[in-house]
Amino acid sequence: MTAVIQAVINGTMMGAMYGLTALGLTLIFGVMKVVNFAHGSLLMVGMFTAYWLIKLTGIHPYLSLLVVPPLLFFFGYYMQNLLIKPVFKAEQQVREPLTVIIVTTGVWYVLDNLALMLFGAEYRTVKTSITGTSFSMGEFIVSIPKLSGFVVSVATAVGLWLFMVKTRTGKALQATSLDREAANLMGIDQYRIYNLAFGIGTAIAGIAGCVIMPFYYVYPSVGVVFDIRAFIIVVLGGLGSIHGAMLGGVIIGLIESVFSQFMPSTWTEAIIYAVFLVILFVKPSGFFGKKQDW
Amino acid sequence: MSRKQLDMTLLGLGLAVSFALPLVIKSPTYLQILILLFFYAYLTTAWNLVGGFAGVLPMGHAVFVGIGAYTSTILSNQYGISPWIGMLAGGVLAALVGVLIGKPTFRMRGAYFALCTIAFAEGFRVMIENIDSIGPLKLNGPRGLLIPLKGDSFWNYQFMHKEPYYYIILVMLLLVLALTWFISRSRMGYYLAAGGEEPEAAQALGINVARYKLVAMAMSCFLTALAGTFYAQLMLYFYPKGLLGLDLSFEIAFIALIGGRGTIAGPVIGALALRPLNEFTRIYLGSQLPGLHLVIFGTILILVMLYQPKGLTAPLARIYDKFASRITRQGGAQ
Repeated sequence: MTAVIQAVINGTMMGAMYGLTALGLTLIFGVMKVVNFAHGSLLMVGMFTAYWLIKLTGIHPYLSLLVVPPLLFFFGYYMQNLLIKPVFKAEQQVREPLTVIIVTTGVWYVLDNLALMLFGAEYRTVKTSITGTSFSMGEFIVSIPKLSGFVVSVATAVGLWLFMVKTRTGKALQATSLDREAANLMGIDQYRIYNLAFGIGTAIAGIAGCVIMPFYYVYPSVGVVFDIRAFIIVVLGGLGSIHGAMLGGVIIGLIESVFSQFMPSTWTEAIIYAVFLVILFVKPSGFFGKKQDW
Repeated sequence: MSRKQLDMTLLGLGLAVSFALPLVIKSPTYLQILILLFFYAYLTTAWNLVGGFAGVLPMGHAVFVGIGAYTSTILSNQYGISPWIGMLAGGVLAALVGVLIGKPTFRMRGAYFALCTIAFAEGFRVMIENIDSIGPLKLNGPRGLLIPLKGDSFWNYQFMHKEPYYYIILVMLLLVLALTWFISRSRMGYYLAAGGEEPEAAQALGINVARYKLVAMAMSCFLTALAGTFYAQLMLYFYPKGLLGLDLSFEIAFIALIGGRGTIAGPVIGALALRPLNEFTRIYLGSQLPGLHLVIFGTILILVMLYQPKGLTAPLARIYDKFASRITRQGGAQ
């Protein structure tokens, strides 16, 4: 029983971080109706940026949170402006801009393999003052980097939610997500909103990169691991839903960590896919998705 | 010379060149590159029945290649059944699985459908990697299956030289192209196109969009599985990560999109554009800078989508039209 509770603690913490990786994806989908296949690669870029920052300057790992997300915001902002907007405009009449999926997949290939060319295929970790530290709560052990990651994840989700409902820009994002033609008519510049959504989504991938870095290894294709999970999480929670992403993340984290108590970890991966498919068939809109989205 | 005569002459010329190539090209390496080019063109043409005509974006077709490869190989390795028969069994199995998957998923919109097919394919790969045997059937988990050498034998679908493989895949490609051409001009083709563009409108006209999509899916999966058997017999070895990974599924979709989704020539043009690029950049750059060839591949993908979002077939067709009108006008004047 102790082992199961320990697994629940670990799974919840890890799951919140999975939710964080899915948050940017769900935001971009919610606003643009585009699945950003480069999302995992952007996470990888965030991880490598944090890695080199920590490695070269020796700063505390969480100080990278002040540098990496803003950098990635501009990266995402201009990626959407230069690469995705033109394709979007060309497909304006199409209800679903599927070509954009291919552009983002192209970005994925380019980023992952540029990283491979620059840094090689090896797995890298940074040894920091908090790596491997933990405290005990009764008979349970809580890892400090994972707990910090959990706190940052929840804070980011709450922050994004507040931004969406309280600020003018957030409301403009929501309006564009609901009906882009109507939002256009109300004087909202659709493409500026897309730039913002993509920028914020990418910045969140940067935040995720920073909090994952102290206890995970980084390598050029690390994004794929989180990518597939993020896809599953956003569909579980409902594409476009913030709390759906967090809940979906925690569910996936729990499945992974609790089931690995009883079976080889490769099988837990299979269970995640099975759960995903069952939910998709029973309730394709996910927990909090809107029916018209799928 | 009329336009039709010109088209037919060029088509005949193309066919003659395709059949004559192995007489000129003797290097097994280059023949292998050509075989894989046709293999990908074939797979993409089969994919196109769903991904092109029915207007959805399946991103997990490697599953059906895998079903074909595993079925025929298990049948021939363990029960001595000729891969030619196993190939058909694999095709039927893949068609059944395709319909099973298609029935619930075809209700979904594009992004959901794409994600769902990815998850299905990855789930399938993870399962196969974890299963050593199902009852008496040996799958060998992550190690994959090896086909023992039995020597030159048509019945065993094994040849010591590349030429027979070349002609088999060429004929398969021509047949599937002919089938696509036929379907695109049939009632089913029009219904599929209508259902892909405006499903609600098509439904309102009394077209059973879902049924036509399922028929297209079954055909596509059946044909894809045949290529799986071909691949197994060509390589004599395959394993889940290589055969069932996302790379193969994605490449099929990319070839279609670069060539032109929903057009008959698109898959062939896409394969002609991408495969040699892929092979040669890997051969010449892969050893010096790992990853560079995929950077180039990704960049080309982005550029084509930026400047020719409908694929390369449309601009090429325009160039050909210009050329043809000049030729035929000259012919008329003489």
